Amino acid sequence: MNTTATAAVNAPPTVLVHAKGLRKEYGSGEGYVHALDAVDLDVSRGEAVAVMGPSGCGKSTLLHLIGGLDRPSAGELTVAGQRVDQLSERGLAHLRRDEIGFVFQAYHLMDELTAQENVELPALLAGYSPSEARARATALLEQVDLADRGRHLPSMLSGGQRQRVGIARALVNDPEILLADEPTGNLDSAAAYDLLRLLGDLHAEGLTLIIVTHDERIAATADRLISMRDGAFIDETRLTGGSRGNFGTFADWERLG
Amino acid sequence: MQQEVVLAMLAKEPSHGYELRARLGRALGPLAEGISEGQMYVTLTRLEKGDFVARIDAPTERSDRKVYSLTPAGQERVTEWLSEVSWPRPDLADFHMKLIVAAQSALADPISIIDAQRRDLLRRLRDVGHAVMAEREDSDARLLLEGIVLRLQADVRWLQACEIAWTKRRTQQ
Amino acid sequence: MSHQNGVNQPPRAARKRAVKGRALLISRLVRRDIRLHLAQALLFVIAIAVASATLTMALSLNGVTNHPYAATRAATKGPDVVGYVTAPQAKNLIHDTGVAASSGPYPLASDTIRFDGRNADALVEGRVTAPAAIDRPLITAGSWVRPGGVVIERTFADALGVSVGDRVTLNHKSFMVAGIAVTAAQPPYPNLCWGTAVVSLKIKGGRETSDQGACANLNFVGEQRNVGLVWMTESDVAGMVSEGHGINDYALDLRLPNPADAQAFANIHTFVPGRSLALSTWEGVASADALLVNDQRGVLKPGALLLTLLAIASVAVLVGRRLSEYARRVGLLKAVGGTPSVIAGTFLLENLVLALIASLVGLMVGWLVSPLLTNPGAALIGTAGAPSISLSTIVEVVGVAIVVALVACLVPAIRAARGSTVDAMNDVARPPRRRGTLIRMSRRLPIPALFGLRLVARRPLRALLSAANVAVTVAGIVAVIAFHADVHSKLSIASGLTAGGLSDPVVNRDEQMLAVITIMLIVLAVLNAFFTTWASVLDARRSSALMRALGARARQVSSGLVVAQLLSALPGAIIGVPLGILLFRAAVQAGSLPSPLWLITIVIGTLVVIAALTVVPARIGSTQSIVEVLQTEAT
Repeated sequence: MNTTATAAVNAPPTVLVHAKGLRKEYGSGEGYVHALDAVDLDVSRGEAVAVMGPSGCGKSTLLHLIGGLDRPSAGELTVAGQRVDQLSERGLAHLRRDEIGFVFQAYHLMDELTAQENVELPALLAGYSPSEARARATALLEQVDLADRGRHLPSMLSGGQRQRVGIARALVNDPEILLADEPTGNLDSAAAYDLLRLLGDLHAEGLTLIIVTHDERIAATADRLISMRDGAFIDETRLTGGSRGNFGTFADWERLG
Repeated sequence: MQQEVVLAMLAKEPSHGYELRARLGRALGPLAEGISEGQMYVTLTRLEKGDFVARIDAPTERSDRKVYSLTPAGQERVTEWLSEVSWPRPDLADFHMKLIVAAQSALADPISIIDAQRRDLLRRLRDVGHAVMAEREDSDARLLLEGIVLRLQADVRWLQACEIAWTKRRTQQ
Repeated sequence: MSHQNGVNQPPRAARKRAVKGRALLISRLVRRDIRLHLAQALLFVIAIAVASATLTMALSLNGVTNHPYAATRAATKGPDVVGYVTAPQAKNLIHDTGVAASSGPYPLASDTIRFDGRNADALVEGRVTAPAAIDRPLITAGSWVRPGGVVIERTFADALGVSVGDRVTLNHKSFMVAGIAVTAAQPPYPNLCWGTAVVSLKIKGGRETSDQGACANLNFVGEQRNVGLVWMTESDVAGMVSEGHGINDYALDLRLPNPADAQAFANIHTFVPGRSLALSTWEGVASADALLVNDQRGVLKPGALLLTLLAIASVAVLVGRRLSEYARRVGLLKAVGGTPSVIAGTFLLENLVLALIASLVGLMVGWLVSPLLTNPGAALIGTAGAPSISLSTIVEVVGVAIVVALVACLVPAIRAARGSTVDAMNDVARPPRRRGTLIRMSRRLPIPALFGLRLVARRPLRALLSAANVAVTVAGIVAVIAFHADVHSKLSIASGLTAGGLSDPVVNRDEQMLAVITIMLIVLAVLNAFFTTWASVLDARRSSALMRALGARARQVSSGLVVAQLLSALPGAIIGVPLGILLFRAAVQAGSLPSPLWLITIVIGTLVVIAALTVVPARIGSTQSIVEVLQTEAT
């Protein structure tokens, strides 16, 4: 899965997401909502960005726009070198298929397909032969540690397992960016840690991640943490410093008794 | 209650012990009930011994009319304390007081304090999170570490709320 | 329960209040739901209205009885038996002991009648100006015969297009049309020679010809169709016969002591065929009169059946959709505290209201259209104008509508009574099916085919319903085209009619009815196809959105929807062909079938229309926001 590394050799854009003045509005009259209010964002290749905020702050909307699932009301948006706000439906479909992997909070798997078939689907869409698609799906299911559940239907999988199928599906076409909407939203602690580890591994391999989350644990591992409120960015934090395994700074933190 | 809180309260202006007790009462509400004026004077005396505060009235006056003031060393300690990000025991009152005295004394911006603390907590969260994942699933250490993570999460959320509240306070002024 | 607003109420008043409150709640829910899903409600109403209209027409046609003939017989003093005899045979019959009274004999002749470029054969009966004792034709226009003035039977006059005062040519002689009349003694044009009347006449120089001659060489099933009845004075008739030949044949009207004995009398007295003569009974004439109507029934009954089937199919699709929506509503209503009775009451009331409105509309439409079909015909005295719909018809039509309404709400009502609330809300009861083989197969196909096949595999019952709908639609089209062809072939078989330029009243009537049925069929078929395709596209909303989210192009998804639709439509269309033929055969035993080319065209045409109808909602669906669809739709 090191295609991202090889891709870097061929000098693709280093800024994978460039948003300027991005706006999204819904509704009319009384029900008019400014979901996003002139947002600027730049995400470099290999970066892991976490977006946090209270519900209704527009973080999911932002993710949907970047993922080409919705169109902005105004503003510039460039993803993987293409002007998303100007793309045709066909262009957007190709973007979703080839450059972007989207992981939904509600998983959105097809209930009548097995895990393997769910993961294969984008590969088939992209034109891979059935055997190639199967090979890719199998490899990815292994990577998300579900190799033995390929033939299970979603109804036979736990929430965490379904989420991992969703991630595998999102990765099957070697996208440039992985977008995840509340990936740990419906998971218990153990499943969340598994997911955390997986995301960490992917990041280590060089995948660009944009994750919308409530979970501070995920936010803490991101390169950049953006806080949103009322459709705008209110804070941006880069967590540098502190070393793994050195707990000296707060060893005295927990005083029992 | 850390000594530094009492020290920092004097950064605004020199005060009597009972004035400080009153301010503390207003800031902490019911949590201040356990703190008596006598305890204030004990802390002040200790601080005086450490040369962080000095009495600025005549030594012959009765003790409850003593007015205390910061020494340069005390001033330095306050500045240091305001920028410290060591996280206290699960008693949020200290941090809460830090924000209040910072605002009252105009020595530091409460929001910057919150931001810095939050960043530190997030770093700890990241590191402890890694530690959790490095442990085996059934290890005792993992259980403890998960507990630490949970508390850190809770504290980060509280800091989030602080930021919202203090930002509102600032815009209202 | 007995505390309202903190005041103690007697139990009865409290219960009344509770009932009122519940009734108000139900009516509010019903009104709101109808407004929310106005389009669906409207389609529901239309489908039931059309079904009701068809049923009304079928029922009122069934109600047409012999009464018009009885009225005509009474008014014209119709005979019990008519004999077509020679003079000596007439004498014998007149004095037969079984005969109570007689009128005639009236000389008969035949010739070609021409008017305004049309021509036909006429059977001419010579009469005196004084009214006869038996068989007194009722003048409906003009006056009775006089020298040089003829009276034409009404159906014949309609077919020829003559009115009183026109001049017609008979045997190269010009006559004036003095009047138009109806009679109960002979069947109307063109069935004059139908039934037991077998007449052989000498024409044109005394040679019996076997061409389109009047009733020559006939058996009991008359196929000569261009003979009509004309009355003139006896002296004029004498002039009709060519020189050298006298009048050989006479018509004799007989009355028996007991009209019920007419058939027995005819059986005794019918001579050996050869030099022909025979007797026709009044029952035979009555049934010939009814032929017109029966023939119509031969088209209307299967036509009505078809339309009703189609309407039911459309209603079934709509009911099916409502059922799946109801499942979730049941859950919601239960969750907010709705009791089973409230929930059942809501659905029942809603469907009842819609079905009642629809059936009333259908009844009105049927009432307006029926006269076109049930008018007993020019030959008989009947009431022109809209016939009154009998009470039994109203009861039956409304009853059917009520049954439909009940069926549509039975399932959700049962669900409301039992079943867990949570399950209902999550619509857990019916997850999509998994067909492993089909899914595996589809992997090798291009994306539209992959998507379409998987859609069909996921909801096989819905696909079956679609197929059934298409089958019924195609059956309808095939049957109607077969009827059209049959009617037209009758036209060409009908001897000399097209040559003569007359309109065939039966064929006319058939064509009229066929036209009405065809139009209704087309409307219903289009509606049905529209419901089916729209329902399928709606069912596939979530899958479509998900495919697009994963990177399928909008066109691939639309094509997939079309493929899914065609996959279920094709077997339906193929089955529809023999079904339509069966239906046609049930009505017209000896009719000719449409050519295979026609059948293939129908099948292909239907599939094309269905594909086109699928594309529209598919396109609309593909412009919707993916996110919105995913968030609102369950499986």
